[in-house]
Amino acid sequence: MNEYYAGIIILACINLTAVLGLSLLTGFTGQFNFGQAGFLAIGAYTTTILTTQYHTPFIPALLAGMLLSGLTSFVIGYPTLRLKGDYFAIATLGFAEVVRLLIENLEKLTGGSRGIPSIPHYTTLPFAICAAALSLVVVAFYISSRHGRSCIAIREDELAAESIGIDTFWYKQVSFFMCAVLGGLAGGMLAHYVGFIQPSMFGMIKSTELIVMVIFGGMQSLTGAVFASLLLTSLPEILRAAMAWRLVVYGAVVVLIMAVRPEGLFGTWELTPKNIQSLWRKIFSRPKSKLSEGGA
Amino acid sequence: MEFLQQVINGISIGAVYALIAVGYSLVYSILKFSNFAHGGIMMLGSYFGFLALTLLHIPFYIALPIAIVGAGLLAILNERIAYRPIRMRNSPLLYLMISALGVSIFLENFTIVTIGPNFRTYPDVLPTAPFMIGGLSIGRLDLIIVVITALSLALLTWIVYGTQIGNAIRATSYSMRVASLMGINPDFIVGFVFFLAGASAGIGGVMFGIKYTVWPQMGALTIKAFIAAVVGGLGSLPGAVLGALVLGITETFAAAFVSSAFRDLFSYALMIIIILVRPGGLLGKITEEKA
Amino acid sequence: MALLELNHVTKKFGGVVAVDDFSHHLEDGGLYAIIGPNGAGKTTIFNLITGIYSPTDGAILFNGEAITGLKPHKIAQKGIARTFQNIRLFPLLTVLDNVRTACHRYASYTIPEGFIPSPRRFREEKAITERAHRLLEMVNLEGRAEEKSKNLPYGHQRRLEIARALAQEPKLLLLDEPAAGMNPDETQNLMDFIEKIHADFHLTILLIEHHMEVVMGLADNIVVLDFGRTIARGTPEEVQADPVVIKAYLGSEEG
Repeated sequence: MNEYYAGIIILACINLTAVLGLSLLTGFTGQFNFGQAGFLAIGAYTTTILTTQYHTPFIPALLAGMLLSGLTSFVIGYPTLRLKGDYFAIATLGFAEVVRLLIENLEKLTGGSRGIPSIPHYTTLPFAICAAALSLVVVAFYISSRHGRSCIAIREDELAAESIGIDTFWYKQVSFFMCAVLGGLAGGMLAHYVGFIQPSMFGMIKSTELIVMVIFGGMQSLTGAVFASLLLTSLPEILRAAMAWRLVVYGAVVVLIMAVRPEGLFGTWELTPKNIQSLWRKIFSRPKSKLSEGGA
Repeated sequence: MEFLQQVINGISIGAVYALIAVGYSLVYSILKFSNFAHGGIMMLGSYFGFLALTLLHIPFYIALPIAIVGAGLLAILNERIAYRPIRMRNSPLLYLMISALGVSIFLENFTIVTIGPNFRTYPDVLPTAPFMIGGLSIGRLDLIIVVITALSLALLTWIVYGTQIGNAIRATSYSMRVASLMGINPDFIVGFVFFLAGASAGIGGVMFGIKYTVWPQMGALTIKAFIAAVVGGLGSLPGAVLGALVLGITETFAAAFVSSAFRDLFSYALMIIIILVRPGGLLGKITEEKA
Repeated sequence: MALLELNHVTKKFGGVVAVDDFSHHLEDGGLYAIIGPNGAGKTTIFNLITGIYSPTDGAILFNGEAITGLKPHKIAQKGIARTFQNIRLFPLLTVLDNVRTACHRYASYTIPEGFIPSPRRFREEKAITERAHRLLEMVNLEGRAEEKSKNLPYGHQRRLEIARALAQEPKLLLLDEPAAGMNPDETQNLMDFIEKIHADFHLTILLIEHHMEVVMGLADNIVVLDFGRTIARGTPEEVQADPVVIKAYLGSEEG
């Protein structure tokens, strides 16, 4: 396969992994995470430092990055998830900033704002696809389990969820943990695809891109997340010329989607056999008389 | 001496934060959501003033009102376009926050591509030379900022607590439904509140621009506004002012005596401490959600 | 031993005393009611029992165990379920799923098992789904199991909320104005339904209601509240005849 297209797919898989985490936390559990880029940064730097300075093999290094991301999520989540959503959202915003600050200032460890060059290209196409696919499967299983239902209940009405016996604080923490872990995985893979990392790669721009993907596809549809990740990763490549305006458009698109169709393109629709069947029937069946049309 | 000097610096920056935090808290108390775009409005207010002075060569005492009104109107526009459609559908607050994020991204980057990403300096419209009082060097600029801020806050306080429309605002913040039953038009109130918030952000932006610089990413100060509001008590106006002053002083001390690179880190740390120790903020009460 | 005991419970919000020195005990299996004008503090008492608010003073015991100050989900797990004055369903979830979210007693598979298709998970999910279907049958909502709950008409939503509460298999069920917004037919159906679940599920029920015929027809014991204070208590006949009650409340109702 042509290296250019392979690159886009790898990038899309990396974005998808990070987006799946956001989907779970923001889409399905209703907690708005503005700072996913911070977790990507933790994953990227941890994995890179381990592979370049300590010659750790790729997968253990990735796991270390994922674990550190996850642990960090507990530190932020513990004080803020017990309060109203705004606190958590702002805390994640601040968190991403703090991570960037720390990276820029701990020069000896991280190379400061110049970053770390010459990272081995361990993220191959098959690896990226497997990682994204595995993440998708894991998240899909979780959502359809009773724990996933509890998360959705929290999103729908946190008070009611508490009242039926769901430990909302715990579930929010777990979702946040998973979101952070997936972010860490994405970051580690990103570092070993691009070949170098700099703190500027993990700023508000990255967080924004990921959020736009989640919103565009539909916060409550994994199918939407996949679609949006693929689309929005390949689009900028095609529209490379309009780089500077890209973010202006993103901002406007977010506002537009929230105002007009907040459920995103896919809403809560998923690519399940049942849904495909009913979609097929809608497109291909000839209109029958009203009497014989069954209820939806 | 050094200590007092820093206190004065802290109060000066705290005053600017207070203007921004108050606008933020006003919107929060009415709509119960954090308007992340608030910083963007402040940033544009700062640019309005800057452009009025440098491009149109308007004197400062006219440029300032232009910035204030401009920012206020922009805030109303923001509400109408981005938030009203969401409120009309009764969508969860989460959507408002996401939209606000979109607006702030839009404003910041639009400014970058149109006006340019460079830092700009305000021309010398206010005297900056310090004057000495018994060994203390007090910047004239800082003093002026504190005075302007105090006047603005006093005006705002009078509007919110001393006028009919202020009563309407406070009624709406307790319950929009009940307020509308009493004949108050909630849409008008929301628009008015946004104007006030935008206007105060505009003043804050101009002050900040004069004291420091103007640049498109200034909107990031929204976080400081939030921290100030949290420290003082989310939704409380006096709390926002108190929190802002506390934040300004803490930050200045941290930067002066520890490390300026980690100034922001201290702000977040302050917020986390308050959340853990006194989540209602210094002046706030935790309002329990009604079932 | 009483199932639920409230001992001198007081709740203040700043300067406002919402509930003033409220004491009550509920025996196992009884059907109780709290009535009173709007703002009398009835829902506040529910919120105190279920842990949404903490009392400013006083203690609450459930099955002899102090539950004052526990978090709402812990209290729910101990066996107290409730419905809300303004229906709180999960709007985007299907009718079936709304009930399934509350079926904790039928599943204990862990979070890690949530990621994999383990046999235990599969078994327990089946049990949950069966249980949920049976509950829906009981409230006559089985036919709409796959619809999004926000699309149900008001009366059906109320029933769904009750079904969800029953899914928790509670010992104590708190119903907050279940007949609100219902016409006389629906109200009668509701009363029959409450009597049925009271008997079939061996529940203790505490209800808040404004519809007098529901309260008088169902409750064994009624407490009357006004401005947070208890102004009368007793059987329906005793309360109906009490002049203090009539003056404060019943007199201004059509009956």
